[in-house]
Amino acid sequence: MTCDAPAAGRTGEGGRWRSYGTGRRSTRTVRVRVSAALLAVTVLAVLLVPPLVQLDQQAVDLAAKLQPPSWSHPFGTDQLGRDLLLRCVYGLRVSLLVGLVAALVATVIGTAVGAAAGALGGWADRCVMRVVDTLSSVPHLLLGIFVVALFRPGVVPVAVSVAATHWLSTARIVRAEVLSLRSRPYIDAAVSGGASRWRVTVRHLLPAVLPQAALAAVLMVPHAMWHESALSFLGLGLPAHMASLGNLIQDARGSLLAGQWWPTLFPGLFIIVPTLALAGLAGAWRERINPRRRSELML
Amino acid sequence: MSDTPVLELRALTAGYDRRAPAVRNASLTVASGEAVGLLGPSGCGKSTLARVAALLHRPDSGALLLDGEPVRHWRHRAPRAQRTAVGVVFQQPRLSADPRLRLSDLIAEPLRATGRSQEIPERLAELTAGVGLTPDLLGRRPHEVSDGQLQRACLARALVLRPRLLICDEMTAMLDASTTAALVAAVEDYRATTGAGLLAVGHDRTLLDRWCDRTVHWDDVTAGVLSAPGAV
Amino acid sequence: MTERTPVLSVRGLSVRFLMPGGRRVAAVTDAHFDVAPGECLALIGESGCGKSVLASALLGLLPANAQSAGSARLGDLDLLTADERTLGRTVRGRLIGLVPQSPAAHLTPVRTIRSQLEETVAALTGARGRAAVRAAARAAADRVAFPAGHLDRHPHELSGGLAQRAATALALVGDAPLLLADEPTTGLDRDLVDRTVDELRRHVDAGPDAADGNGPGRGLLMITHDLAAAERIADRVAVMYAGRIVELTDARGFFGSPGPRHPYGRGLLRALPDRAFTPIPGMPPELGDLPTGCAFAPRCDLATDACATLPPVTGGLACHHPVTEDARV
Repeated sequence: MTCDAPAAGRTGEGGRWRSYGTGRRSTRTVRVRVSAALLAVTVLAVLLVPPLVQLDQQAVDLAAKLQPPSWSHPFGTDQLGRDLLLRCVYGLRVSLLVGLVAALVATVIGTAVGAAAGALGGWADRCVMRVVDTLSSVPHLLLGIFVVALFRPGVVPVAVSVAATHWLSTARIVRAEVLSLRSRPYIDAAVSGGASRWRVTVRHLLPAVLPQAALAAVLMVPHAMWHESALSFLGLGLPAHMASLGNLIQDARGSLLAGQWWPTLFPGLFIIVPTLALAGLAGAWRERINPRRRSELML
Repeated sequence: MSDTPVLELRALTAGYDRRAPAVRNASLTVASGEAVGLLGPSGCGKSTLARVAALLHRPDSGALLLDGEPVRHWRHRAPRAQRTAVGVVFQQPRLSADPRLRLSDLIAEPLRATGRSQEIPERLAELTAGVGLTPDLLGRRPHEVSDGQLQRACLARALVLRPRLLICDEMTAMLDASTTAALVAAVEDYRATTGAGLLAVGHDRTLLDRWCDRTVHWDDVTAGVLSAPGAV
Repeated sequence: MTERTPVLSVRGLSVRFLMPGGRRVAAVTDAHFDVAPGECLALIGESGCGKSVLASALLGLLPANAQSAGSARLGDLDLLTADERTLGRTVRGRLIGLVPQSPAAHLTPVRTIRSQLEETVAALTGARGRAAVRAAARAAADRVAFPAGHLDRHPHELSGGLAQRAATALALVGDAPLLLADEPTTGLDRDLVDRTVDELRRHVDAGPDAADGNGPGRGLLMITHDLAAAERIADRVAVMYAGRIVELTDARGFFGSPGPRHPYGRGLLRALPDRAFTPIPGMPPELGDLPTGCAFAPRCDLATDACATLPPVTGGLACHHPVTEDARV
């Protein structure tokens, strides 16, 4: 009996090829696509709208104050008659900037501290982790308020305060990962091959934990945005005239009780939708890189 | 060959929990150029002993001599010359290879780590042929090659610094008969040209008897019987 | 059912994987074999030759990028076309018992052997009620000579041998007519290998209707790279190379006289430490890039021009120039 080459798509008995695993991942795919589309729209809006439309978001028009959504003002206007759509876009711009900077700084600090603690081990590890535990026991918002209070209101203090409170979780994740990798035979082989402690850390340990750290960073962006909004809402974050999402909601507090829902709803949606989209994408990535660690990375 | 044994373990106790050491009072000698097989059941602690002998795990007590020099420090604290005098191959090639490195970088990594990058082209060519790899495999990453091919690369990495002692911890337990024979032949070729010593740890008596000059049983090693060459 | 009706009948089984970039990896190509009741067929070959893929195909555990062709009949059921529901409800555990590669990893670490056995008994047999399930679990443990005193231990408290027995007990609970053992002896020491395969052999001979001890016996398909274990247990041997079964023959003749007829099988035996201990030169080809002719030809010292075409399977052998002289001479 003879048979064709497998690439010909037939076997000795002339049977047809059967495929496996159809359509089981559809919900995940849909989730990823929706998240990606939403995120793309918001990011494009944030990047393109301000330079293109050339409208002044601060333009006050008291004659048109607190107007409900209409064709000329799709999101309505606030109590000073400023266009809320424009204010939201500018607000998201500020919030995203704070979120990205804070997440980046926190990840760099957290990765460095976690990797150093894990690679050094012994008393250095114990000291560093006790400090991390101590800082973690203070509520984030309280620590954040403390940091912000030391400076003038502005983008930098808010980013610093969020970063200062959020590198702890990254440090923990990275240290745990380094500790589990350190006992692998391939690290033993590198040590036996004469590699220094620095080389083992930089060449073999860090590259292995970077995907985890990067994922933690992405998941931290929405979290940092919420913190920025919370600080601004409390009046401790960005200067009141600056359109940040937290400030917008803070401004709208009074009008909500008067039945004007739009100044609260739209900035709220601008916080929730991009952060959910970001979290959705990061979640899919997390499942890809390591299904077992789902729970550990919940920030 | 000198009379100084390349490896000498004296009353070594080691483990991960001081109350229940995996290795108790182990004594073993590998003479210069000698091949010693260490035979023991799985889970008896022989892998821990192999890690101690490769300067990768600090023993709780006892003495270890490399070429007659007592070893005082382990892992990174051990002098580089002492650390690299021992080459080591582990049981599972998948876990012993950094998944991000191509096979050529995997094999050359010890040369880079010790600042001898200029030797890479020459050593890589020698070893690739020596362990039976083909040049087209060198550009691949571990997940793109079979267990047997990866273990060949791991052996090449262990030999790249020309160690005076090679430790093979269950090197062939996962491999088929032909790959086993090929790897053993590569080790023996290396030993024939350099006179290096060998400690082969395993559970297959037939293999170790065929491979090594003498085979010692785990129970004898840990019973305090100092087994010397010729005292089988 | 007569003695000669096979438990498992595999015809033209092929599995290929579609890789990113349109590459195709032919993991298994055109496998034909039967496993009879009371018979052990050992499928031998080196790692990466497609043996484990074949096992996954039989269990319906192929990944999403796989395609299969041919048939694998187990009674009236074709394992390759059965849907997941059928496989889960009637095949795994009930028609095929899986003896795993690493029993320690196969058992749930946080539960005792007794609770795992009882769960399996309750799921696979008609035993209902606490007392009946408990008794059936005890009986399942007795069948593999698992000591009753160790039933309340967790897997990590067991030796390698006992863990293997516990895993075997789980595989036998459903009284499946076919046992599938995937590298059951990897990492075990020689004594334990011998004991494990001897026990498997006993279950092959005992058969699913073991109540009277006169059943037709179970079929066992054992996938292994351990030739010594295969020699000890197998009735017939299938040698797999680069995704194809190149020789399917009687085990006694294969390991003894006249020896393997395919040069690859002969090379494998010559590589054993208690024989010549000489490796086959070279390495097996990539499954994604197989030659059009005989895949072993580049490593074969008997290769001729004829080997540029694919050798047909005749009499269980796929070779243009089979070895004829006695291996042991």
